Amino acid sequence: MAVRLRAVAVLGVILAVVSVGCSAKKKGAAAGAAGGGVGEEGLAPGSSLERYKQGTLGTGEEGPLKDIHFAFDSADLDEQARGLLRDDASWLKDHSRAKVEIEGHCDERGTVEYNLALGTRRAGAAKEYVVALGIPADRLTTISYGEELPLCHEHNEECWQKNRRVHFVVLGE
Amino acid sequence: MRRMWWTLLVISLVMGGARPSDAQVRGTIFGPGAHSYPIAVSPLRNLSEGSAAANFGAQFADIVSADLNLSGFFKILDRAAYIEKPETSGYTADSINFDNWSVIGALALVKGAYSVSGDNVTAEVRLFDVYQRRQLAGVRYHGSLGELRRMANKFADEIMKQFSGERGPFDTRLAFVSTRDGKFKELYAMSPDGGDLQQVTKTQTINVSPSWSPDSRLLLYTSYKRGNPDLYELDFLSGREVLISSRPGLNLGGRFSPDGSKIALTIEDKGNADIAIVDRGGNLLRRVTDSWAIDVSPSWSPDGRRLAFTSNRSGAPQIYIVGVEGGEPRRVTFSGTYNTSPAWSPKGDLIAYVSRADGGFNLFTVKVDGSDTRQLTQAAGDNEDPSWAPDGRYMVFSSSRTGRKKLFVTDLTGSSQVQLTRVGGDDSSPAWSRWLE
Repeated sequence: MAVRLRAVAVLGVILAVVSVGCSAKKKGAAAGAAGGGVGEEGLAPGSSLERYKQGTLGTGEEGPLKDIHFAFDSADLDEQARGLLRDDASWLKDHSRAKVEIEGHCDERGTVEYNLALGTRRAGAAKEYVVALGIPADRLTTISYGEELPLCHEHNEECWQKNRRVHFVVLGE
Repeated sequence: MRRMWWTLLVISLVMGGARPSDAQVRGTIFGPGAHSYPIAVSPLRNLSEGSAAANFGAQFADIVSADLNLSGFFKILDRAAYIEKPETSGYTADSINFDNWSVIGALALVKGAYSVSGDNVTAEVRLFDVYQRRQLAGVRYHGSLGELRRMANKFADEIMKQFSGERGPFDTRLAFVSTRDGKFKELYAMSPDGGDLQQVTKTQTINVSPSWSPDSRLLLYTSYKRGNPDLYELDFLSGREVLISSRPGLNLGGRFSPDGSKIALTIEDKGNADIAIVDRGGNLLRRVTDSWAIDVSPSWSPDGRRLAFTSNRSGAPQIYIVGVEGGEPRRVTFSGTYNTSPAWSPKGDLIAYVSRADGGFNLFTVKVDGSDTRQLTQAAGDNEDPSWAPDGRYMVFSSSRTGRKKLFVTDLTGSSQVQLTRVGGDDSSPAWSRWLE
């Protein structure tokens, strides 16, 4: 079983690498292939969950789209977040075939289930804003990871601030 | 794999004139939290020839002792101080020298004997009032050697019944998530005494929020193993798994109705979490809430007519109650600005929840009508994830008071809080099953 899982993980890495160089059409299909041959993975290449599995979460996930951050127990977009989202939206306009998964994350404080719902709200708030700026909603999917995938593991506000984030994963261009 | 059936033959050996109602020590002579009532739990005497299952008697006593320690009622007397040795002494009221037990301070005594035949064991276990020199309860158990733990847990439940008037909560299972074997939260199950640990999932992804079916055979949990947080049902005994709900977005916090016919869960609609009820196949029966706010963590009332849940419709998370048919929810918590994780007591009168208070997260209870808020934990790390024992007198919860998150058991006043897990990693989201039958 362990051997098989490792094989699947390695395959995931290969898929992720291949995807970077692939055509948009192919990548779009791969992203939606939850029921495909690699079924169990079904993840966006480079998603935080995939990076966590590979032990690379927190190192170099910066893509063309910038993370935005939130106050505790809030999904409100402050002025800084809105500014970053405007930049993100203009990148998306320039890359009109890019599809993006929007991940909502929380800090460790509070309840697992509530934080999963809060992460959903954060991802949803970012999506709504970008859509309002003219990006078609069908290019954007959302997922919440709640408090499950922190970037930073210390128990202090500096760390928590980094973890309360919306992260964008470009699925393909 | 554990056997799916349980062939336990229980024969009451309670003697005439020693009915439980006569027991002098019943009722409110002492309360939980005192750890004050001295009881000796002697290893059972081995009546078999040879050394087959020679440890059975001591293991039985170990498990009963661990259970009684969790109860908060008892002070378990150190076995090294026992004068009567199990292999050379009697185990009936007629043959026990009660002076040997009163002199070491015991007010209650557990003694018994067992015999092994192949894979089967018969154990006779009795509870005595040392002061009155008489038997309070006696049970004969017959089963396979592998059912040792259930026999011991059942006898601990019987002891609790003799001393408090209500059956104890130990012939049950606890499910929880833990990172003890790696970086992902995997599901585990164990006996409430901390033994018989089983790793239930090895998915190498995020798994959260286990809960039991009323018959204690199925586990609901949410897993990201297909990428999305979907709700699964695992037949705990056969290992068979069914995907119950895989709606886009959240399929979270599934909880069986008390009659087992329905499941309440959190689903996502237009980027927001709401409470819904689905049938056993995952088909939507009805939306219970449909608000702009976050609604999560449904917990059934014991009569199956209402749900407690967490909502931030007031601006911050608070506990609400709503009828299963929907309608306007009623707010239950009014103190504190962050109240989550409602757990409706199986007795129906209390809702346990977690509140952000005193710089951390702590366990509280409140009456269903919103009155009589009580704080159970304080100044001891973060205390979260309360789950009631089936007797409504105890809860299991997670606490970071010793560093990493570990499981603890508390009585409903918080006066007895006993640590249950200790090994590495974080243990959280415990779920206490109903009694095994």
